[in-house]
Amino acid sequence: MIYLDNGATSFHKPETVSGAMRCALENCANPGRGGYTAAMAAAKTVLRCRERAGELFCCSPEQVVFTHNCTHGLNIAIASLVKPGARVVISGFEHNAVTRPLYAREAKVKVAGRKLFDWQDTLEDFENALKAGADAAVFTHVSNVFGYILPVYEMAALCKRYGVPFVVDAAQSAGILPVDLQKLGADFVAMPGHKGLLGPQGTGILLCGREPVPLIQGGTGSLSAQQAMPDFLPDMAEAGTLNVPGIAGLSAGIAYVQQEGVDRIFRREQQQAEKCGKALLKLGLRAFTGDHQAGTVSFVPPIDCEDAAHILGEGGIAVRAGLHCAPLAHESAGTLDTGTVRVSYGHDAAAWQTGSFLLQMEKLLARS
Amino acid sequence: MRNCIITFRSVTPAQRAEEVLHRAGVECTLQRTPKWMEEKGCGYSVRLQREDLMAAAVLLRQAGIGFRKAYALADSGAPEELRL
Repeated sequence: MIYLDNGATSFHKPETVSGAMRCALENCANPGRGGYTAAMAAAKTVLRCRERAGELFCCSPEQVVFTHNCTHGLNIAIASLVKPGARVVISGFEHNAVTRPLYAREAKVKVAGRKLFDWQDTLEDFENALKAGADAAVFTHVSNVFGYILPVYEMAALCKRYGVPFVVDAAQSAGILPVDLQKLGADFVAMPGHKGLLGPQGTGILLCGREPVPLIQGGTGSLSAQQAMPDFLPDMAEAGTLNVPGIAGLSAGIAYVQQEGVDRIFRREQQQAEKCGKALLKLGLRAFTGDHQAGTVSFVPPIDCEDAAHILGEGGIAVRAGLHCAPLAHESAGTLDTGTVRVSYGHDAAAWQTGSFLLQMEKLLARS
Repeated sequence: MRNCIITFRSVTPAQRAEEVLHRAGVECTLQRTPKWMEEKGCGYSVRLQREDLMAAAVLLRQAGIGFRKAYALADSGAPEELRL
């Protein structure tokens, strides 16, 4: 199988990830709950991951909160910043992980910046929306459908200028682009552990620039005699037993990313996406390419997108079709009715993957 | 003899303290905080020698690691809370 669905999850993980998970399963008890060797081994494993994440994302280990996934982190962040009925500015490329929690809170949502790959439009529209009055902003770093890299550092500066707290969704950028909590000055940055950070599914990180409102309450291994949740990070947002084997795997994934280098991984993915996009255009397809694009390309096939992905799957190519849980992004790009087929590269992006995919595409086009 | 204890509110700052102290060459041991020392229940602490206590407090403050209290234990085991 040629795996080109890294936007959903990374599949070919470094061998160290499963090794670290096995090691944790065999050696780690519950972190922060005991003083014996196996409990302390678990605590050490967890702290190592916090430290690695802190190094990669420019924050202290305490600001690294472990979550089940990016959606979980976004829910904590949104619950912390968005009161029911609040005015919230979002980009035109948000995932349901952002829009559904906002909908549930009956937020008054203003969508700003709907042109793909156009930083000027994104920034102008975003600033106008902030100027008009906003209680919070939530925006993605990279569109999961189109690979559009939004100008998040500039958007962050605008939020600071207008005094609007904000959340960055780094679902598609963590491990692939520089994500710097200090430089962003974000209130929260949410990310999955299992995509660009190459950890296992069921892991995620919420970087906290401020204290969050806990979504759940329970045991933390600290201040057990009091009924209120601890008022300090990371305990205040980590009730219940942590996913130690998952965190061990995530730690190994982050170590791999650090060793390989975020820039190098990005270049590898981006080069193949660019090559792929150009080739799809040459085949006469409606492919979405442009400046500021990461390692993801979407296109509209001449047949139903799900049928196209199915045929490609039979040919050994794993891609995702449909709306990719981001109807807003499709609405912005004008593909809500058709959906798209998405090709998303991973840390192992290589020319042979693109070549094999294009070969299968030519076969598909010859059939249709 | 490691006859001093610095207490922390949870495992994360206690672990970070242990790392900072070890890096600076201060010998210490990470342990659960004795129940009677932590009125809010459950915490971790580092145990170290009395002569390293002041240096440890400076190192922890420099690293931005907050601690709760410090105790000296007499040979009899009787504790004395110290002001750092």
